[in-house]
Amino acid sequence: MRPVQFILIVLLLLLTYVYFSRLRSGLLDRVIVLVFAAIGIVMTVIPDFTTTVANFIGVGRGVDLFFYLAILGLAFMCLLLYSKIRDLEASITDLTRTVATKGARSPDKKDDEHTD
Amino acid sequence: MNESVFVVVPIYNEERVIRSALQPLLEQGYSVVAVDDGSADKTWQIIRSLPIYSLRHAVNLGQGAALQTGMTFALEHGARFIVHFDADGQHSVDDIKTLLEPLRKGEADVVLGSRFLRKSDRDVVPRARRLLLKGGVVVNGLLTGVWLTDAHNGCRAMTRDSAKKIRLNENRFAHASEILIQIRRNRLRFVEMPTTIIYTDHSIAKGQSMWNAIKIVFDMILRRIFR
Repeated sequence: MRPVQFILIVLLLLLTYVYFSRLRSGLLDRVIVLVFAAIGIVMTVIPDFTTTVANFIGVGRGVDLFFYLAILGLAFMCLLLYSKIRDLEASITDLTRTVATKGARSPDKKDDEHTD
Repeated sequence: MNESVFVVVPIYNEERVIRSALQPLLEQGYSVVAVDDGSADKTWQIIRSLPIYSLRHAVNLGQGAALQTGMTFALEHGARFIVHFDADGQHSVDDIKTLLEPLRKGEADVVLGSRFLRKSDRDVVPRARRLLLKGGVVVNGLLTGVWLTDAHNGCRAMTRDSAKKIRLNENRFAHASEILIQIRRNRLRFVEMPTTIIYTDHSIAKGQSMWNAIKIVFDMILRRIFR
């Protein structure tokens, strides 16, 4: 085994460990992560395997195929995160609106009740 | 009679001009709903001491969000008509009467202000601003299917029923286009009425820049993708 393979496998296992120890997630998410980790290890241990797959669909090298897929995957992740942020923003808006309405001051009330 | 007209004023960091911008509205007897959108200056201290409805967002959300907060509040307090009015002193209070006319006559559900209907209003628009606004007209037309003479004019009026149908989800400045989309979707009858924009250094600085315009379009496209 080349040193780079060893390093990659260690990092992959570490990543998987961090995921399982720090993030609470659903069963499906856990299965997906495990499957991806397994694929990653297979690709690291048998690099020729990815090249075979790449050649089969018309890509020269396994690394290139992986590179293309990784870019697509990252773009997909960005979109997912973005839509999560929008959801978050919507909840913050609701929250802020509720608080604002509760604390509204009417014209007839003078500014004497409480100072904040 | 003006009491049932609720003027919603979204405000962000306007401590220097807010008092003089709100005063004429009070003199006309309108019900004013001032929404402080999380200002960092003394805006809140000033508006809460005035005889108006005042609300404060704990964090800054954007003009669209402030308008929606004010509209919901106005509806709950028995508004018959709701007017949008910018806080930076760029709108003329007399225009509100003009905007309300088609609503009172029952000829329209929503009235949108335009600074391009009268020659005297048109002539005071700075050249660079005019170009940007006309670009906005085209973008709005293409994206919403509603073709107007002006874009991003903060002066609008609507009936109670149409205000109930309009729900702004766009927190920042894309709300102006979002309103058009919802006008179309709900088949609301709309007209444009002439309004004067008072261009001061202050209102120009607060107005839309090219960069903001790009961000607005970006927001609108993303909204189309994410429902």
